[in-house]
Amino acid sequence: MSSRLVGSVAVALALVVAACGKGGAEESGGGAGTSADTVKTGPGATADTITLGYLPDLSGVFAPNGKSQMEGANLYWDAKNKAGGICGRQIEVKVQDTGYDPQKAVAAYQQLSGDVIGLGLVLGSSIVSALLPSVESDGMFLNFAGWTSDILPAENVAIAGTTYDIEAINAVDFLMSEKGVKAGDTIGHLYFEGDYGENALKGSKFAAGKHDLKIVEQKITPADQDMTGQVSAFKKAGVKAILFSAAPPQAASLAGVAASQKLDVPIVANGPGWTPQLLKTPAAKALEANYYVVSSMAPLSVQSEGVQKFLTDYKAANPKGTPSSNGSLYAYAGAQIADAALTKACENKDLTRKGVLDALHSLNALDTGGTVAGTLDFTDPSRPPGKLVYLAKVSADAPGGLKALGEPSEAADAQGYEFK
Amino acid sequence: MSRALVTAAVFVVLAALPIWLESFWLQTALFAMAAMIAAIGLSLLIGIAGQLSLAHAFFVAIGAYGYAYLAGEGVAPLLALLGAVLLAGLAGAAFSPIAGRVRGIYLGLASLGLVFLGQHILQNATGITGGYEGVAVEPFSLFGFSFSNTDPDTLVILGVPYGRLERLWYLGVVLVALAVWYGRNLVRSRPGRALATLRDSEVAAAVMGVDVVRYKAAAFTVSSMYAGLGGVLMALAFGRIVPESFGFVLSVDFLVMVVIGGAGSVGGAAAGALFVTALPLVLNHYSGSLPLLAEPGTGGVGASEFSRFIYGAAIVAVLLFARDGLAGLARRARKERVA
Amino acid sequence: MSQFISLLIGGLFLGAIYSLVALGFVTVFKATHVINFAQGSVLLLGAFVIGRTHGSLGFWGAVMLGIAAAALVALLIDAVLIRPVRRADLGTLAILTLGVDILLATELTREIGTDVLSVGAPWGSDVVEVAGIRVAESRVIAGGVAAVLVAAFAAVFKFTDWGIAMRSAAEDGETASLMGIRLNRVAAAAWAMAGALAAIGGLFLTSFPAAGVTGGVGLVALAAIPAVVLGGFDSPSGAVVGGLIIGVVSVLTAGYQDELSFLGRGLGSVAPYVVMLLVLLVRPNGLFGTKEVTRV
Repeated sequence: MSSRLVGSVAVALALVVAACGKGGAEESGGGAGTSADTVKTGPGATADTITLGYLPDLSGVFAPNGKSQMEGANLYWDAKNKAGGICGRQIEVKVQDTGYDPQKAVAAYQQLSGDVIGLGLVLGSSIVSALLPSVESDGMFLNFAGWTSDILPAENVAIAGTTYDIEAINAVDFLMSEKGVKAGDTIGHLYFEGDYGENALKGSKFAAGKHDLKIVEQKITPADQDMTGQVSAFKKAGVKAILFSAAPPQAASLAGVAASQKLDVPIVANGPGWTPQLLKTPAAKALEANYYVVSSMAPLSVQSEGVQKFLTDYKAANPKGTPSSNGSLYAYAGAQIADAALTKACENKDLTRKGVLDALHSLNALDTGGTVAGTLDFTDPSRPPGKLVYLAKVSADAPGGLKALGEPSEAADAQGYEFK
Repeated sequence: MSRALVTAAVFVVLAALPIWLESFWLQTALFAMAAMIAAIGLSLLIGIAGQLSLAHAFFVAIGAYGYAYLAGEGVAPLLALLGAVLLAGLAGAAFSPIAGRVRGIYLGLASLGLVFLGQHILQNATGITGGYEGVAVEPFSLFGFSFSNTDPDTLVILGVPYGRLERLWYLGVVLVALAVWYGRNLVRSRPGRALATLRDSEVAAAVMGVDVVRYKAAAFTVSSMYAGLGGVLMALAFGRIVPESFGFVLSVDFLVMVVIGGAGSVGGAAAGALFVTALPLVLNHYSGSLPLLAEPGTGGVGASEFSRFIYGAAIVAVLLFARDGLAGLARRARKERVA
Repeated sequence: MSQFISLLIGGLFLGAIYSLVALGFVTVFKATHVINFAQGSVLLLGAFVIGRTHGSLGFWGAVMLGIAAAALVALLIDAVLIRPVRRADLGTLAILTLGVDILLATELTREIGTDVLSVGAPWGSDVVEVAGIRVAESRVIAGGVAAVLVAAFAAVFKFTDWGIAMRSAAEDGETASLMGIRLNRVAAAAWAMAGALAAIGGLFLTSFPAAGVTGGVGLVALAAIPAVVLGGFDSPSGAVVGGLIIGVVSVLTAGYQDELSFLGRGLGSVAPYVVMLLVLLVRPNGLFGTKEVTRV
């Protein structure tokens, strides 16, 4: 009896399946059309809502960052929605956790891609790599929560500022002009395996080539928490400075070990290399003495309008939270970029995915009020939108632990740098 | 007659599912199918041949990168697939002498070393592997029909546009069916029984005339070929592969799949693979509607952490209460019904 | 040359910490035939407790609490999860501990978040200088503690009733229980000791020159596995030697990264496993492991 029953059920199921196919209308969040205000709409835009997809890492290696980023994004869009939204439409945020796992990310993307007009945030170069073929064929824009130039040229990708290699070139420039590094000197570069570190290394090698500097490379992975061997190699090579493209735990270890081995040299880090927590570790004194950060994202002590507004709003919405430059501030800036693109698209009366992408590429001097250094130019997809960087020194008194050194700047060398 | 009806019905359902499943489910299914193929190979190795290997992710990587490289160099996709599987098999054969010398848990942990070595090579041999940037994977095609969104550019069946995921579904189903069929036959065959004797006692097997060295090598070769095939399907399912996907976590995942499914069982491996692969993706999918879970972006336990918890708890539960895995449970349920 | 000596010394002191963790593995294996993959997360737990409580309890109070917590959790793992299936085979038990490790690690990393917790050690970032070679004080203390504990363990295994009971339980459980040895008590004690060792190892792994307790510390404990394997799973002396070798290899490959760059960069994580593979090829049961005798 049972196998016949199973057979009949299976046949019935098969017929049902064949009958109610999903059809061509997979996109539920607004199909093509024109709404009442004669704005052309596409997937992700209806008469009263615009939907943005967010793909942070909320449970993997970068989970704390991801949570911070969502705080920043929600902060921006809640305020924007209260002020009337964009194009008379409210902004809806759809979040899917990628767990920093390409497999999860691809599946998560498949899940929300039909409903969104673009991706407000994607964290992780390997994630973006995995998603790019689909994002390109779906024709939507993507805010990349990372600053590597290896992804360029990319029509669909928006970076908030300039890239790690440019940061490294600026770092070398700073060391030579302010920290006494001269032609013929040796500098060390401690970097993470992967897009972040190796992209920064490209920049430092370029700058070194221009100024006859020798670079001692030390590649590490996030699992390496003890920098004894690396510092020893740097000391033996007689480095006059160290470039740093890794994460805060390694920074603390590097600074601490260097101090203990009497390697008293300046250390200049890319943006992701700092968190104010480090001031509570035994390496705090060493960091205050020798640690600098070069980054597109503003240190929280910057007195510009955008940063101060962010800080005030953040403290009101998250009284117990801690704002961070690479977390909440980044997502806030990313939302500013998305906002500018969507607003322009609305002016062009074209809220299709292509319309938004075209609007993004028409922005040539986007001013974020200082959250990102300088203004952003999205007209050339083969170059990063930003050119300037903030230079900051560790300071226990400054909010966020970093004190900006002067206005955002650009090294002359950077202008001659070729991407790819 | 009813048997034929059931088979026919299953066949129809499998053929018709892409009409109904949305891209998220198709994508998840493809990843699960790739894992199933590889898991069957590992289940045979551990359960039948008795060799504990944690290196499976390494052979999967060889399959994936092998296909990407060959197809990228212009080799016809079908040949690239076969080539990748062969490469993985060769690698497995090359590893078997070590398996010959080292036994039991030492073998398991030694094979773990292969995974780390593999990661190192994938990250540093940038000429072939693209390093941390990864490589794009050429779509699969057969006699001019491409398993992507082109060639034919629009294929509509029963009102549903058939794109890359829908087309790959069929390839996946065929490959899984082949893998299961071959595996089941292998278990029942003479070589399969020789391997089982080998697992129970190498000395007894040798006494009975089983060429221990050759059979161990064969076991590793076959298991790695399964891994390689799984790797190819995984590469196709992704469209672009990066080294991180083939690390320590994946190796452990395979071991868990085999344990949950029941070592030595082909069906069990497939079930275990489905569970381990689909669980985090599905929980993520429904995270909005499950009451206890925090929304992504707030504090508290989110869908991903919850799925890790379930994953860990499932391992513990299976090992405490159902040591033979799902296959053992199924076997016991069948026996009870007959009795 | 002086760089080599300096690296060697640094590596030996780091290796001493790995030895502590490896010793924990071996203790559990000797007593209960379980490869405890949960050792890493127990280590993280101990360090985490110290990191969170040293502010309110003072450093030494926090250390006591951390050791107690780790020992207790390890004991619970054995009592609740391992004991019911003590007779299961090696692979099953190992994967069971893996499941526990996943549960524990997920919760701990969720708690720690982006924090970098300092353990509040009184020796801070002080450095000791001997014959021109500078070593962090915390490493010297770690080395001393490791030496004392290892010697203590060796003595306990050899000379005390409990140690003999443990060894006989490992050799032949049935006979041992027939002779009145309470297997469960032996196991519980072994697991608790392993937990304590993990906590102490964790304390030193997260002291200077490391940054502190971060989510990634559990991975560092993974590095102890090659140490245990190449030393031999059931040999305490193997654990010590293995730990020292791994420590030295890690630091040397980092220090000579430039010279070794033809092998690729970032060798630090791979080198221990390569060394492990090479040792196993020559001695398939590890350096000091007992050879399995096949009885026909």
